[in-house]
Amino acid sequence: MIAYLLNLSTLIAIFAILATSLNILVGFGGIFSVAQAVFFGVGAYAAAQMALNVTPDLLVDALVGAAAAGALSVCLALPALRVRDEYFVIASLGLQMLAVTIFIDMKPLTGGIGGLVGIPVPTLFGLSLANPDAMLAACVGFLVIALALTRVLMRGSFGRSLMSIRDNESAAAALGKNPMVLKTLAVVLGCAFAGVGGALYSAQIQFVNVESFTMDQSTLIMAMVVIGGTGTLAGPLVGSILILLLPAALSFIPGIPPTEIGAVQQMIYGLVMTLLMIFRPGGLVAFQAWRR
Amino acid sequence: MLLVQLIVSGLQTGLLYAVTAAGFAMIFGATRIFHVAHGAVFALAGYVFLSAYTAGFGWTGGALAATVIAVAFGAGMERFVYRPIQRHEASFFTVFVASFGVSIIIQSLIEMIFGRGFVTLTTPLAQARPMFGGIYIAPMFWIVLVVTLVVFAVLWAFLRFTRTGIGLRALSESPELLRAYGLSAQRLSALVFAIGSVLCVPAAILKMAITGMQPSVNSHVMLISLASTIVGGVGSITGAALGGLLLGIAENVSITLLDSQWSEAASFIVLFAFILLRPRGLFGYAVTR
Repeated sequence: MIAYLLNLSTLIAIFAILATSLNILVGFGGIFSVAQAVFFGVGAYAAAQMALNVTPDLLVDALVGAAAAGALSVCLALPALRVRDEYFVIASLGLQMLAVTIFIDMKPLTGGIGGLVGIPVPTLFGLSLANPDAMLAACVGFLVIALALTRVLMRGSFGRSLMSIRDNESAAAALGKNPMVLKTLAVVLGCAFAGVGGALYSAQIQFVNVESFTMDQSTLIMAMVVIGGTGTLAGPLVGSILILLLPAALSFIPGIPPTEIGAVQQMIYGLVMTLLMIFRPGGLVAFQAWRR
Repeated sequence: MLLVQLIVSGLQTGLLYAVTAAGFAMIFGATRIFHVAHGAVFALAGYVFLSAYTAGFGWTGGALAATVIAVAFGAGMERFVYRPIQRHEASFFTVFVASFGVSIIIQSLIEMIFGRGFVTLTTPLAQARPMFGGIYIAPMFWIVLVVTLVVFAVLWAFLRFTRTGIGLRALSESPELLRAYGLSAQRLSALVFAIGSVLCVPAAILKMAITGMQPSVNSHVMLISLASTIVGGVGSITGAALGGLLLGIAENVSITLLDSQWSEAASFIVLFAFILLRPRGLFGYAVTR
């Protein structure tokens, strides 16, 4: 039971990082992406390869994961941000569908459908993280850093310029902000965070395969952000806790066969997302109405 | 010869994409609502048709049931999701998430009832027969060709000649002016959602009969509809139809160059090429910053 709770808490910390990463795009940048699982996956594969071949040091692997995901995101951002908002959604949707094929097909790097197995136990500053407590502490540490970094950046000049573009692009551009550059930076930052999440995930599960990086996963991450509340610091945190507790809560309800829990869960957050958009578009923790 | 064969099957796929994408483009053009749940209508129509067909209602009964569901779903989305949202605000984000949420609900509902795997309808019409010069064509190809051409002809005539059709075109130009002339923009929006959704029905039925469907067809159709709209040019129904046709052919012809699991990648490459080189699409207006 304790082991289960520790594992769940670690996963919540990892997914909170992922939700925070998407929130930088969606909430602060006003850029809608449905491909966050791709960057999560790139980070996870890169870190897994590092852990298997170079070093199991979590910090190094997380930075490599972040660099890989950030670099890929530039390839998506540069063409797609040139045009209107809708185009980024569509390009990211296309990337998500294409990426699954690539993940399956690039066997030397990703292990194909079978995935990468036997990822060694991670270490941090020379200490082994074999103990679940230590791994949880490390992941929470990364989450705190991610949240602190997000807060500092979003309170500062970068975040304010970004939000001004989100709220009124022409006005911000007239005041000398460069929307293209700022939005690209937001995408790279957000996707690099997702890469960190991927690195932690591969170290925690010690196994990565394409199943974790599909459209469904992107949807899940998006649900966390939207349900919690976009553009707030606490929103993604609340969202990831609620959504990861949902399958456990559902397993207590009699009458749902265990094989159907995935579908029931998806249906619930689909429904919650739609209802929130109709009645409370700012999400659960929104303290003021969404201003746009 | 292989190339001709692939172009034939690409034409078949592309025509189905074309009607589906035309439905999305029509809704988007007239109401500016980014209706990503269009893929869900497609899946819904296909599965409802299959259920009615296997329950013994035949092709007509199945098609009728699918049409009723599509109209109800499209008009219901407009009435119960988009209209309440537009009453308080209508940012792209809110509409997109609400629509996406609905498509998740539909997809998981279908997964629960029919399972995640492929379902299909076996019909002798989908069996390929040798034609001239070693080309294999199933009778289904001719059915697809005739059905889609008839659908487009009816749609064109409707938009061109009827009062309602002209009203719909006016809606995309200027809702304010429409109101000044005493027409109800609300009623026309509901209508355009109904018609746009019905356009999914023939394509969904034919796809069910040709290759079968799985619940994730939802996101595939979503991507195809959106991509065709961009390739064709935002706001142009003809453009979206040609875009769909192009994507279908690209998907099939790409098999000569790449393995078959990459056929989906072909549509992505076409989409990306258009975003890079001609973001306004075939018939659209300028959108670059």
